[in-house]
Amino acid sequence: MEFLAKMKGSTKSPPRVSGTEVLLAWLGSFVGIAAVAFISEKVVQASGVVLVIGSFGASAVLIYGAIKSPLAQPRNLVGGHLLSAVIGVAAFKLFHGIPWLAASIGVATAIAVMHVTKTLHPPGGATALIAVVGGDAIHSLGFTYVLVPVGAGVAIMLLVALIFNNIPKHRRYPEFWW
Amino acid sequence: MTEKYIEACLPVDISDDDIYEAMREIPGYLDITPGDFKEVYLSAYRHAVLRLTRSVRVAEVMTKTVVSVTRKMPINLVAELMAEKKVSGIPVLENDGTVAGIISERDFMVTMGVGGAGTFMEVIATCLRGGSCLTAPLSERLAEDIMTSPPVTVKPETTLLEAANIMATRGINRLPVVDDMGHMVGIASRADVVRSSLVR
Repeated sequence: MEFLAKMKGSTKSPPRVSGTEVLLAWLGSFVGIAAVAFISEKVVQASGVVLVIGSFGASAVLIYGAIKSPLAQPRNLVGGHLLSAVIGVAAFKLFHGIPWLAASIGVATAIAVMHVTKTLHPPGGATALIAVVGGDAIHSLGFTYVLVPVGAGVAIMLLVALIFNNIPKHRRYPEFWW
Repeated sequence: MTEKYIEACLPVDISDDDIYEAMREIPGYLDITPGDFKEVYLSAYRHAVLRLTRSVRVAEVMTKTVVSVTRKMPINLVAELMAEKKVSGIPVLENDGTVAGIISERDFMVTMGVGGAGTFMEVIATCLRGGSCLTAPLSERLAEDIMTSPPVTVKPETTLLEAANIMATRGINRLPVVDDMGHMVGIASRADVVRSSLVR
């Protein structure tokens, strides 16, 4: 019965943030994603690669919407995405004959490695998964996927976070670098 | 026992609602539930108490100017002295400065209370029963007759945590502090321990 009792939960949900916070999160993520998408469209796409992947939307939640979270710090953002990208590509290369296995091994290993390296960043799981399920455009990149789109996109988002999150008086980012 | 003692030191029974309110006052989204925060807070508090009680030595909190008596002092004089100095316990010293025993209020009460548990109320009850008010058995007795001996002592470098645990497990209120030669250098009372745990 203890097993079922645990499903009831034991505490309450954290408070809602202020309107200012909502606005800042909106603005920050708007600028961050706009920067990546704009550069992707105008510059990189001419050379046939994209810069935007789905996991950046998840990163935006953290680095513009929950900036105090340990999960949102530069170490986690950069480390989580890069390590997961490497693992995702490797999982595809090793197990692409069995897609469901490549996907699950990629994500599971990415989480384990992020934990061990203290770089846990939830969007990293998506970055690893995209390397497997992202289709031919992603697969053809091979390990280049780690640098572009992942590395380059993360760098742009981080730069925007560093500038934007430190403009308001009562906001600061990061909590720690390393 | 250790756990119990330290729980007793917790000053605030912080609730999830308190934490919720505090989280509201901090701008920005805090990536933790009130329940988890509480767990962290309580654990951190316990660590802090342990750190303090482990790092603080008895020598730092003991009372150094101690009133003492000798073995052969009549206990009416001992009582006078304890009353005058407003102490509830007094060490009995040998001529060479080592501790022979300790006399507390309870030792008087045991003597007066005709055996029994030696509580103040027992003395009162016996008095009200119309007894001879029990001072008779006290006359002509000496410090060494009623003292608790041998006394439980500690060293100056004993940690506060150990001292607190000794007091709690032995049910005693003061510990003579003795150097390596056995000479008394101070006395650590329950009040000394509590004061130092809370004020720092």
